[in-house]
Order: sequence, then structure tokens, then C-alpha cells
Amino acid sequence: MKHLIPEFEKIKRRYPAGFESSLLLPCLHRIQEDRGFVADEDIDGLCEWLGVPRMQVEEVLSYYTMLRREPVGRYHVQVCRNVSCSMRGAERLIGHVCKRLGVGVGETTGDGRFTVSTVECLGSCGTAPVLVVNEAYHENMDAAKTDTLLEGLK
Amino acid sequence: MPGRALLMDFPVTATSHLLADYRARGGYATLRKVLTSMKPEQVTKEVTASGILGHGGAAFPAGRKWQVIHLDDGQPHYLCANADEGEPGTFKDRWILENAPHRLVESMAIAGYALQVRHAFVYIRGEFDLPYRRLQAAVDEAYDAGLLGERILDTDFAMDLVVYRGAGSYVCGEASGLLASIEGRKGYPRNRPPRLTVKGLFKRPTVVNNVETLANLTTILAMGGEAFKQIGAPKSPGTQLVSISGHVSKPGVYEVEYGYPVAKFIYDDCGGVLAGRKLKCIVPGGISTKVLTAAEIETVTYDHASFTKAGSGVGSGGMIVIAEGTCMVRLLQVMIRFYHHESCGQCTPCRDGMGWMHKLIDGIVAGRGQSGDLERMELIAKANDGTTICGMGDACGYAVVGILAKYRDEFEYWIVHGRSKFDGRLEVDAAELAHA
Amino acid sequence: MPEIFVDGIAIEAKDGQTVMEAARDAGIYIPGFCWHPNLSIAGNCRLCMVEVEGESGGWMDIACNMPATRGMHVLTNSPKVQERRKAMLELVLLNHPVDCGVCDKAGECMLQDYHYEHNGAPSVATVAKHRTTKFHELSKRILLDNERCVLCSRCVRFTKEVSKSHALGILDRGDHSLVRCDEKRSLDDDPYSDNVVDLCPVGALLSKRFLYKSRVWYLDQTPSVCPGCERGCSVDLWHRKAEWKFAALDPRHNVAIERVTPRENPAVNGPWICNKARDLPDLLERPRGAGPMLKGARVDLGEAAGAARRLIDAARHPVALISSWASNEELDSARATLLPRFRCFVKADHLPQPGERVADDVLILPDKNPNGRRARELFGSAPAALDGADLVLIWGEGFDFAQVPRGAKTILMSPFLAPENGHADAYFATTLQTERSGHYTNFEGVVSAFAPIRPAPAGTVDAATLFGMIAAVARVSA
Repeated sequence: MKHLIPEFEKIKRRYPAGFESSLLLPCLHRIQEDRGFVADEDIDGLCEWLGVPRMQVEEVLSYYTMLRREPVGRYHVQVCRNVSCSMRGAERLIGHVCKRLGVGVGETTGDGRFTVSTVECLGSCGTAPVLVVNEAYHENMDAAKTDTLLEGLK
Repeated sequence: MPGRALLMDFPVTATSHLLADYRARGGYATLRKVLTSMKPEQVTKEVTASGILGHGGAAFPAGRKWQVIHLDDGQPHYLCANADEGEPGTFKDRWILENAPHRLVESMAIAGYALQVRHAFVYIRGEFDLPYRRLQAAVDEAYDAGLLGERILDTDFAMDLVVYRGAGSYVCGEASGLLASIEGRKGYPRNRPPRLTVKGLFKRPTVVNNVETLANLTTILAMGGEAFKQIGAPKSPGTQLVSISGHVSKPGVYEVEYGYPVAKFIYDDCGGVLAGRKLKCIVPGGISTKVLTAAEIETVTYDHASFTKAGSGVGSGGMIVIAEGTCMVRLLQVMIRFYHHESCGQCTPCRDGMGWMHKLIDGIVAGRGQSGDLERMELIAKANDGTTICGMGDACGYAVVGILAKYRDEFEYWIVHGRSKFDGRLEVDAAELAHA
Repeated sequence: MPEIFVDGIAIEAKDGQTVMEAARDAGIYIPGFCWHPNLSIAGNCRLCMVEVEGESGGWMDIACNMPATRGMHVLTNSPKVQERRKAMLELVLLNHPVDCGVCDKAGECMLQDYHYEHNGAPSVATVAKHRTTKFHELSKRILLDNERCVLCSRCVRFTKEVSKSHALGILDRGDHSLVRCDEKRSLDDDPYSDNVVDLCPVGALLSKRFLYKSRVWYLDQTPSVCPGCERGCSVDLWHRKAEWKFAALDPRHNVAIERVTPRENPAVNGPWICNKARDLPDLLERPRGAGPMLKGARVDLGEAAGAARRLIDAARHPVALISSWASNEELDSARATLLPRFRCFVKADHLPQPGERVADDVLILPDKNPNGRRARELFGSAPAALDGADLVLIWGEGFDFAQVPRGAKTILMSPFLAPENGHADAYFATTLQTERSGHYTNFEGVVSAFAPIRPAPAGTVDAATLFGMIAAVARVSA
């Protein structure tokens, strides 16, 4: 993560002085965006630069669902399974995605292209059912739209 | 139209979220007025006079919260906008972040001035991608235009605004969990005392307000607190952005003036239930608010007093419409699964209670329900009522108690017969939808 | 100084105290796992909930985070409080394995105690318990059983606030939360790590050296003082009760130190000790010198004392190296008997070992001997000058025999088996602090007592007794 430090120094300037520990989440987001996940050496480098105990970084990484220490497929397909989405077909949608890709929830396709997860409410209940691919929201989904979407993701 | 529009008062276009369009609509004129002709205390006075209640779910009077901050205590103060919006069924703050981000920025500058804040944060849930990019772009535009940073609008007031992304935790929508997250730690809520307005972010006096609450500030300061108070209902001034979803024909975000009849809102403004079905019940405002049956909503108006009288609450403004034929057991199962997943794990009643609750409901759904299971669920709900560090434990309890109070027969049916009274249905029949 | 009422009893709370603190100071015990007087408030176990009487029906909240405000009326055992407590204990018990039969903590477990006192009913749960890791090696010294863990966070707070190693944390969330050490294994390097074993209210954190050694109700605790450094922390040495001594099996079990725990002493160490104190058996139970010897030949005490007397009488330049492990009483005896005849210098019996922390701002101090201050008060601080000595009396460990001037005679008094014992002209096997009563004076002048836990082994002699025997006939004036 050392190559990201100049970027981090810039972010630091908008924060109140003396509370560098705040930078932990923004830095982890950026590291994950850059590498695809947070590696052990990233943790070491971040601890050194921020001056926080290693345990704090490990705790944060284990607590937040969006942060990961292992890579995922090129396309992380996350389907909401909460109340409104379940009421508009999320369960069938999850089943369809898994069947189409040939993997279970939490698994990655053999070619490394797709990882499938279920997630809780994404704040898009009005356009349920909803799935997210990497960062992008895909709303009002059904089997047909999903097939088109997945086919287009190479 | 469910009443006056104070926030959704412009047509959304491809550019309406940008600074130029916002300025053309009169944006930042109120900030200029505040910074050049008002003292900080006067701003707080207007907010108090407006009577505006928090729009995050707790409905605490914003002015009363602000008044705890002593402007001359020589300490840094912090302001945080709660854009974590994780309550199932709720997506109304998202509307503001995507379509009116400058409204939030201007309002936060006004609030920062009133509370003498040098560093302000918007805590936005990590999953929100477009809202984050729109908000960050608006913040960047504001900095470039001298509306944030040093010498705002050429006055002595300076304020930095950081958009802080969350990383997937519902409990970071709780004010103290939110602050813990900004401090770079797990989103563990904190016991009070001390209140956050005394010792909050970095142990300094902090005000945390919901995005919608803050977004109303430009309106309040433009028209004056007293005038704002005249809008809406006697104890609920102003409007509520309501996100409606579920088995409803026209889901989306609507601005409802407080006092508007709920039944009219659902049947007229939102097109009623999908596929011409009958309404079974609604979750009024986030899944911890007690469900109200179709009959009960006939006499409820959209305001705090009316909902409280009906035994429920305005909550987060996330309304979920449930059609007849939906299995309430499976619905509750989805809710409990959510709470279990999101428990931070600090305190005994929520940590162990959510897991137990989940196992019990899964058992019932799997046909292994035993007599006494419902009493056990009620025991867990009671053990979480007022005993936890934050409101999450209580919330699950309310969801359980509320649904059991009105649909206990469905649960008992499943325990006795080993299957759902309604085929475990959560969706309105897909075939019916095709013909709708 | 607000006056509050707890269960109707008026209590004078100190300014800034919580109800928990004020109640405990007044001898009223409010139960709770996570609160500890020397750690920050966590307020997560929810067991200390109390009722506060008020106009609109009053309210309930945790006592550990409740400011004691003037005139408040607190109930710690009302029907509402009892009901709440039972509910909290029911929930703690929900996933607890209840494997007391194989758990070291049985007999000193807060969960056991609270269950019997405040709940006592079988669990109403019918669901399977949540299973997770048992026998997790948290460090080389400490095992963690996550199923027993109640997530009170005492251990985590200890490493953050007291030892400052930041080694421990809680990973994941909800009921999947797990106490863990960081991946750098920082707990291995934390010399205060074992305090978390005391702190743990249940049998989740276990000391590997004590694992399965003994049931606690077979053991007695005897107050002692750790000789590991000049702080002289107050400790309890645990050993088998007289009526529970083994008739069969290795008799060494009956005199062994089974474990060492802190003895709370606000003037010296608070409620903590370092790991060196925990490892006192390694220090004190090394093989012992068998008995008096003259140049390696075993003789009885009388003959050896006689030989020593003759050596002293014959010496014209006798030098004595005084043990900094000697007790106050032994030092007084030495002063009365040796000082008139010998040039005396205080010796550091122990020096910091490689890898041993020399000093920090918690407890550990650089002088690794328990009574150096008192010894120096009586015998001065001059460095030892052995040139020209024709008799060297070495009392205690830590002396390099190569320093003995050529041709000089040696009298060695030491507890432990060592090759030098056989080379000395006269050797006496002395007793340890675990075999007699006495006192040490720590670096600040605080005097602490230790008591015996076992009879002195055959062949050993108290240093004070030996000095008496030697002085009895040696010429006192030079």
C-alpha cells in the first residue's frame, strides 16, 4: 500500500489533527479498491504509517462486511435478501443466479469470474429486487434481466 | 400530492443535482443570509422554534439537542450527518444524497455555523455508490466555489466537510456506533452517560443529525422557525420523506406533509396494493415499528401523535406494504435473520438473544416448532426491552412482539401443523402480477 | 460528596463515583462480569442493572455507568431487578457449555456463583448451543475456550489500558464474536499477560501451567512476596491443603507451589503481577543443595559449622558478600554476627536475563532482587573489593567463583544445587522464603511479609540460625 501514501496524506489534511486513527476506514477502502482485497502486508504498512495497533486493524477488517482479506471473483454479485426484496422475488433471484453460475452462495465460479453473496438491505427497496455487481446497483431485476447482465460481464 | 413539498420541490433532471442548477433554484442564498446577518445562537433559536423532530427514527427535537452545545466552552465541536440509512424499507435519505446533495451541504454549513463546528462529517453507508459520488462531487464543487473550507462566502466562518464511507454495518446508523466508526474502530455503540452532545466524536461535544433533518435547515432558516411550525401537524411540523416499498403499485420516495391520512397515501398516491390485492398490513416506518393492519390504518394520519396512538411509530419513514396472503412467519424470519446478522455482539441480551430468536424462528419454519416457542420469543423480546447498550436489541423485540400481537394464529398454526398457513408466501403471486 | 440511598441505606458517595463504585465501597455487592475497579467501564454484561425509584415509575439502568447523584434511591434487589438479572443470566447460560466438570475455573467462577445466587433455575432454552473454538492457543502461556467466554472484554481492556500491549481484541461480530490475539502474537511478549487469567470471570482464559493441576478447593493460599525484582509484589502462593495432601503419588506434589496469583496491594502492585511472579515455581523449585559439605564431602551441620568457625578465626582479611535475597530478619542477624568480623558488600544475586524486560512504567524494575534496598541500608552500596581477601563468605546465588583471590578460602551459603557447592571449603544449603517467615523491604521502603508453605527440606538450615552458630564461638572482635 506504500504507493497510496501520497494519496492518504492528501485525505489527512481535511481531518482534525491528532486523530489519525480515523483514516483507517478510508485507507482500507482505497487499498481494497486498488488490490481487490486487503493483504497482510497492507495491514503491516498501514499500522506503521498510521501508528495504530495491529489488533485494531484486524478487528475492523473482521467486523465490517464490505472489507475482505481474501480476493473475490472479478465480479462480486451481491443479492439483497432483506424484507422488501424478498417480497418482490429475491429468493427466486438468488436461486436463479446460483443455478445460472453453477455456484452456491459464498462461492466463486471456477474461472474466477463471479463470486455470489447475499447481503442485507441496500437501501433500494423501492426498486426491489436489487443486486449489486462490485459497486454498481442493478435494480428491478428479474431472471431475464439478470441473464443479460451476467452475459455482458466478461 | 400528499401535502406541501419542501424538499422534493424541483423537477429531477440529469443536472439538477449540480451546483449551477442548485444556485439557479436559489441555493446558498440562505447560507449567505445566515453567515452575514445572524449570530450562531439565533440560528439555533430558529431551529428550536421550528419544532423540527429528528427524521432518523428517534424523533428527538433537533433544537433541544443543539442547545446542549455551549458555544463558548473553548472546545472543538463536531457535526455528523447520519447517512447510514440501513433500516430495511428505508431509502429516502438516498433521494436527498443523489438528487439534492447541495441542499445537505448548505444545511450542514448552516448547522456548523450555529454550533461553531470546524470539522463536519457525513457518514454515508459504504454500499451507497452513486449517492456517495454525487455527494463527494457536490462537496468538491462547494470547496471550489468557496462554500466550504476557509472563509466561506468571504466571511470568517471556516468549516471542512469530510464524506466518510462506512463499510457494512447497520449498527453504524446508531449515533454512537457511527462515531466509533469515524474514529477508525468497530461500530460499537456506547453507553450513555455521557451524552454525545457532551462527549461524542473524539470525546468532544458532537451533534449527530439525520440527513433529512439537516436538509430541512435551509427551509427553516429561509422562512423562519415559526412559519415552518405552521406546516404539517401540531406536534409534527414540516414534512416527511417516506420511502414506500413491498407489495405496492408505485413504490418510491414521496414527500408527505405531516397530518396526511395514511390510507389515502397508500391507496391514492401510491396506487394501492399490487395486482389489485387487498392490504393485509403495513410496517409503518422501519421494521421495528409495530405492524398496523388494513383496518387500523384507516384512522391514522401521518404524524407522530397519530401513530403513537395507534401503538406504532413514524420511525425511519420506511413503509412496507404487505398484501393479503403473505406469510407473516416467513416475514418475521427475514427480519430476525437481519437483526442477528447485524448485532455488534457487545451486550448479552442482544448478542445471545438474537441468535436464540433466530434459531427459534428457523425451527418453526423448518417444522420443528415446539409449544412454548412463542413464549420463549416473547421472553427474549422482554429481556431486550430497555436493557441493551443501543436500541437494536429493543428493535428486534418490538418487531417480534408487534407481529405476534396481531398474527399469532399463523405462528401457532405452523407449530401445530408443521407448515405455513399461506404456503410460506412472501411474494404476491407472480402469475397475478403478470396479469396486473 | 453526594449522599445516595442504596436499598434504603444512606451512603456517602465520592464526587464522580458511579453507583457501582459507591455501593462496593460501602460493602454492598452489585453483581457484574465486565466491571472492574482498575479497568474502564464497558457496560456490556448488563448484569448490574439496578432500579432507580422516581415519580413516573422510576427507571432501570446499569449501575457501573450510572453517576451517583444526590438523593437518588437505588434498589439492587427489587423484584424487577431480580427478574432482569435472571433473564441476563439465562442469556449468558444459553451458549455456555456448562462443562464445569472439566473446567479449571470451577469453584472460583463468577458465573457459577451468580447462577446459584441469582438464578438457580435450569435453562429454558431448547435450541442447540452455539459451538465454537475450544483450546485455542491465545499465547504460549494461555489457552482460550471461546464457548465459555462471556465477551465481557476485561482481557481486551487489560491489554489496552494496563499492560498496553494491545495484544487482544474481539474479532467478527454478534454471537460469532471471538476474543483473539493479534496475528503478530503480541501476547507472547506481554510480561503481564497472565493477569487476564485472573480477570476472566469464567473459565475461558486458562493458564497452561495450571491446566488440570488441581481443583481450587484442594488448595490454600499463603501470602508471600515475589522475589523477582525490587518492587516486591504481594502474591498468593497456592499449595495443597494439609487435609488434601496426596498419600500416594509423588510427594513433591504436596509441597509444590501449584500456582501464583496477585494479592491485591494498593501500596505496591495494585491487583496485578508480572509473568515472572507466575513462574516463581521455576525459580524456587530448582534442585536444592542436599546438605552441608566440606569441599564436596557431605557432613552434618555441627561439623560443617565448626569448620566454618575455624576458617573465620584463621582469616585475617575476611570478606562477606551479602545476599540481596535475604530477608530483613536474616540481614539483621548477619549484621549482628558478620559485620564485626567481615568487610561486607551487598551482592546482586540475580541480574536481568537475556530477553527479560528490564524495566517499564507498570511494575517491572531493573534490580532483580527483592531486598537490595534493605541490604544496602545495612551494609552500604560499595562495589565488592575482593583483592587481598583470604576468606570469602558468599551468601546467595550470582557469584562468579573466578573472582575468588588465589589461595583464599570460601564459605558458600546458598539454597540451590550448583557445581560450586562442591568446591567451597564449607557449603551450607539454606532455606527459601517458602520455608520460613520473614519480610522484604521494597524499592520504596514498603515492608511486606511472607509466610512458609512447606517445612524446610532435610539438610537445609536458616541463614539466621547458621549465623548464630558461627558467631557463637568465632572471635567477635577482629
